[in-house]
Amino acid sequence: MIGLTSAFGAAGVPFAATPFIASWNPSASAKAVGAPVKVDITKLAPGQQIQVGWRKQPIFVIRHSAEAMKNLDSSLSKLADPNSDAIDEPYKNQNPTRSKSSEYSVLVGVCTHLGCSPKFFPEVEPKSWDASWTGGYFCPCHGSTFDLVGRVFKGVPAPTNLKVPPHNFKGNILTIGEDEEMS
Amino acid sequence: MNLIAKRFINLPNLPLIFLTLFCIFLIQNTFSAEGAPCKDYGECDEFKHTLTDMTSLQRGASTYLTYCYGCHSLEYSRWNRVASDLEIPEEIFFNNLVFDASVRPGDLMAGSMSKAESAVWFGVAPPDLTLVTRLHGSDWVYTYLRTFYEDSSKQYGVNNLVYPGAAMPNVLASLQGNQQLICKQIPVIAENGGEKRDNFGNTITKEKCGFLSVESGTGTLNKDEFDNLIYDLTNFLTYVGDPDKVERERIGWYVVFFFIIFTTLASLLYREYQKDYH
Amino acid sequence: MSTLTKVFDWVNHRLPIQNTYERHLSKHPVPKKVNFWYLFGALAAVVLVIQIVSGIWLIMLYTPGEAAFASIEYMMRDVDYGWVIRYMHTTGASMFFAVVYLHMFRGLLYGSYQKPRELVWIFGCTIYLAMMAEGFLGYVLPYGQMSYWGAQVIISLFGSLPYIGESLELWIRGDYYISGITVNRFFALHVVALPLVLIALVFLHLVALHEVGAGNPEGVDIEAHIDEDGVPLDSVPFFPYKVLNALVGIGVFMTVFAIIMFFFPEGGGYFIEYANYEEANPLVTPDHIAPVWYYSPYYSILRAVPDKLGGFAAMGAAVAIFFVVPWLDRSNVASIRYKGILSKIALVMFGISFITLGYLGTVSVTEHRKTMSVICTVIYFSYFLLMPIYTSIEKTKPVPDRL
Repeated sequence: MIGLTSAFGAAGVPFAATPFIASWNPSASAKAVGAPVKVDITKLAPGQQIQVGWRKQPIFVIRHSAEAMKNLDSSLSKLADPNSDAIDEPYKNQNPTRSKSSEYSVLVGVCTHLGCSPKFFPEVEPKSWDASWTGGYFCPCHGSTFDLVGRVFKGVPAPTNLKVPPHNFKGNILTIGEDEEMS
Repeated sequence: MNLIAKRFINLPNLPLIFLTLFCIFLIQNTFSAEGAPCKDYGECDEFKHTLTDMTSLQRGASTYLTYCYGCHSLEYSRWNRVASDLEIPEEIFFNNLVFDASVRPGDLMAGSMSKAESAVWFGVAPPDLTLVTRLHGSDWVYTYLRTFYEDSSKQYGVNNLVYPGAAMPNVLASLQGNQQLICKQIPVIAENGGEKRDNFGNTITKEKCGFLSVESGTGTLNKDEFDNLIYDLTNFLTYVGDPDKVERERIGWYVVFFFIIFTTLASLLYREYQKDYH
Repeated sequence: MSTLTKVFDWVNHRLPIQNTYERHLSKHPVPKKVNFWYLFGALAAVVLVIQIVSGIWLIMLYTPGEAAFASIEYMMRDVDYGWVIRYMHTTGASMFFAVVYLHMFRGLLYGSYQKPRELVWIFGCTIYLAMMAEGFLGYVLPYGQMSYWGAQVIISLFGSLPYIGESLELWIRGDYYISGITVNRFFALHVVALPLVLIALVFLHLVALHEVGAGNPEGVDIEAHIDEDGVPLDSVPFFPYKVLNALVGIGVFMTVFAIIMFFFPEGGGYFIEYANYEEANPLVTPDHIAPVWYYSPYYSILRAVPDKLGGFAAMGAAVAIFFVVPWLDRSNVASIRYKGILSKIALVMFGISFITLGYLGTVSVTEHRKTMSVICTVIYFSYFLLMPIYTSIEKTKPVPDRL
C-alpha cells in the first residue's frame, strides 16, 4: 500500500515539474526576435557584400565574381582548414562557396578568435598583413585573416573558419536562420 | 472496491458540504453574466462561447481584422499564434487577413493607428481589445456591438445603450442597417398578471420608449445573419482574451483526476495504519 | 560499517540531524485523536511552499515598474506554461487566506491559544498580519486598475494620520502619485523582505508549538499522563500516523486547488478582480473599488465608521484584537465542546458577522448595507470585548481526563 501510494505520488512529480522546466524554453517573444531574416539579393553586384542582422549577430552575404571563384584555390596552402573538417559545417562539400548557392556565400561575421567583426577586403592587391593578398577578410582586433569564403589562414590567432548559418535560397529571397523552407 | 465505498461514507460530512457549496458558488458566479451590467439596455444578452468551433473563430478573426483592427490593436496577441490556434495555414492567413506587408509572423498585433493622433480625433484613443472580454465579460461585448442607435446629438451620430456616451462610431452600420430607438404601444398589465382590456375587449396599451429597431433595407445582413456575425466576433475576442483556456481545462481534468486517485490511495493507506493504534 | 553510515555519523556528531529529526518529526508526540480542523496548519505550510516556488518562477518572468502589466500578459501568452505558474500563485494566495482563516477558527473553537500556547498564538497573529501586508503588496504588482486604485485607497489611509500623514503618503509612494517607482519598491518588499519575515515567523511559530505540544479538540492536557519514558499516553508519534493523515488532507486540498486553478482561476471575479484586466490609469477611477475577498471583512469595518481616521483605527483594532484573545478568555475550559452556552452563541455570532462583513465588503454601499455593516462590526467586537465576561460567568462542563 505504501509502495502504491508513493509510486503514484512520485509519478505525478515529472508532470508537476514540467511547467517550471518548460517555462525556461525560449518564449514566443524570444522566438519572434530570433526569427529567420529574409534578404532580397537581386541588387547585389558581383564582388559586393551586404550585412544583415540575425540573432544579434552580423551576417555577411557576398556575391562572388567568376574570377574570385577561380582564384579561391590559389591560397589553399596558406589555409589551416580548407575543407572545414574541424568545425560543424552545415553544407559541407556542396559548393566551393560553402553555402547552398554556387554564387553567393553566407557567413556569420564574427571572428572565431574573440568575437570581433572582420572587415571585407576583396581586392587582389598586396596588403600590410599579407604581400600576396588574394582577397578575403582581415580582423582589425588581433590580425586574423580569412579567405573570400571565410576559411581561416594558418598562423593567425583565430582557430577555425567563419561559421555558416542555416539558410536557404528561394528565387531572389535568401532566408537566414531557416534550413528548409517552412510553408 | 467495497473498501473505497466504505471510506467515502465515513468521510466527515462538514468539509464535503463546504466543498460542494463552494463549487456551486464558483460555477454560478462564473457562468452568470460577468463584468459590468449592460447599463441602459438592462440585463446583458447571454453569450456562450464555443472556443473549439474553428469556423466560428476564423470568421470572427476575419471580421475583426476587416472592421476593427484599423482602430483597435490587440497588442498582447501575436499573429502567428492566432493563425496556429485557429488552424489557419500561415500562408493563407498572411496573404488574406493581414493587410500590412511589413508585419512579421512573430510580431505582436500592435495596431495601425497612432494612439496620440486617435486621441485627438475621437477624444480618447480607441482602447486595445485583447482583454476586453476579461474586463467586461463576453456577454457585455456581444450586447454592446448590437446596441448602437442613431443619435444626432453625438459626434459620430450614434450612441450605445450598453455604453452610453461611447465615442465609437457604428462601424458595422452597413451590415446591421440603421438602428434607432423607437417607442411602441405595449399592453398594460393588470394586477392579476393578465392584459388589461377596455369594455369592448380591446387591449389597453400605453406608450413605452427605448426599444431598438433596425430600418429595414438599410443593412446588407438580416437580424439573424448580423447576430451570427457578432457571435463569431465575440467568440474570437473571447479566444483572444484567454487563448490558453481550452488547453488549461483539458490539462485540468487530468490533474484533478490524479489528485482524486491520490487522495483515495492515501486514505486507504491511512486506514491501514489507523488499525494499529485503535 | 558502510561508508554511508560513517559519513552520516561524522556529520551527525557535528550537526544534530538525527536528534532533530526524531524530536521534531518522526517521534514527536501528537495527540492521538484530532479532527479535520487540525489539518489546516499543515496545509498552510504546503501553500507557503507553493507560493515560494511559484513566486520564484514568477520573478523570472515579471518586470516590475511601468512595464508590469505587459509582462503579465507576456508570461500568460508567450512563455510555455507561463499561465500555470501565474494561476498557481494567484490561486495559492486565495487558498493561503482560506486555509489560515480556518486555521485561526480552529484556534478559537478549541482554545488553542490558552496557556501554555499563548506565544504560539501571538506568532500566528503576527504571521497573519505579515500575510495581509504581503497579499496587498503582491496585488499591486500586476499594475492593473484595481492594483492601482486599491493601493491608492490603502496608502491614503496612512495619509489620515495627524501631522505626519501627508509626508508619510509621499514617502511610501516615492512619487507624487502612484507610479512605477511605487511598484518597484513594493516588488522588493513582496519578493524578499516579507517572505523572509514570514519564514522566520513560521519557524518561531513551529518551535514554540513543539515546545508545548499541540492541543486537541477535547482540550485535554495530554502531558498530564505520561509513560516511564516521558511520552504522553494519549499521543502517537508524528510519523507515520500524522504524516499519513496529513497526506489525505493534502490530497483533498490539492484537488480543490486544482479545480480552482484550472477551471475557475478568477474565482468569479473574487480571486482576480475583473477591473484588473485594464492597465493602471490614474485618470479613470473604476466604478467599484473593492479589495480582494480576504480583506473584505476589514474593508467593511473600515467603511462602517464615517470618519477616515476612525475607520482606519477600527480596521486596525479589528486585526489587533486577535493578539489579546489568550487574556480575554477567562474560561477554565479550552474547547467549545465543554464551554457554556454563552461561548457557543458568541462564536456562532462571530462567525456569522465575519462572513456577513466579508460579503458586504465586496458590494457597493447602500443605506441598508451600511446599517448591516455597523451592526456586524458591533457583533464582531463584542465577541472579543465581552469575552472576559461571558467566559467567566457561564457554566462549563467537566473536561475528561484522558483522550
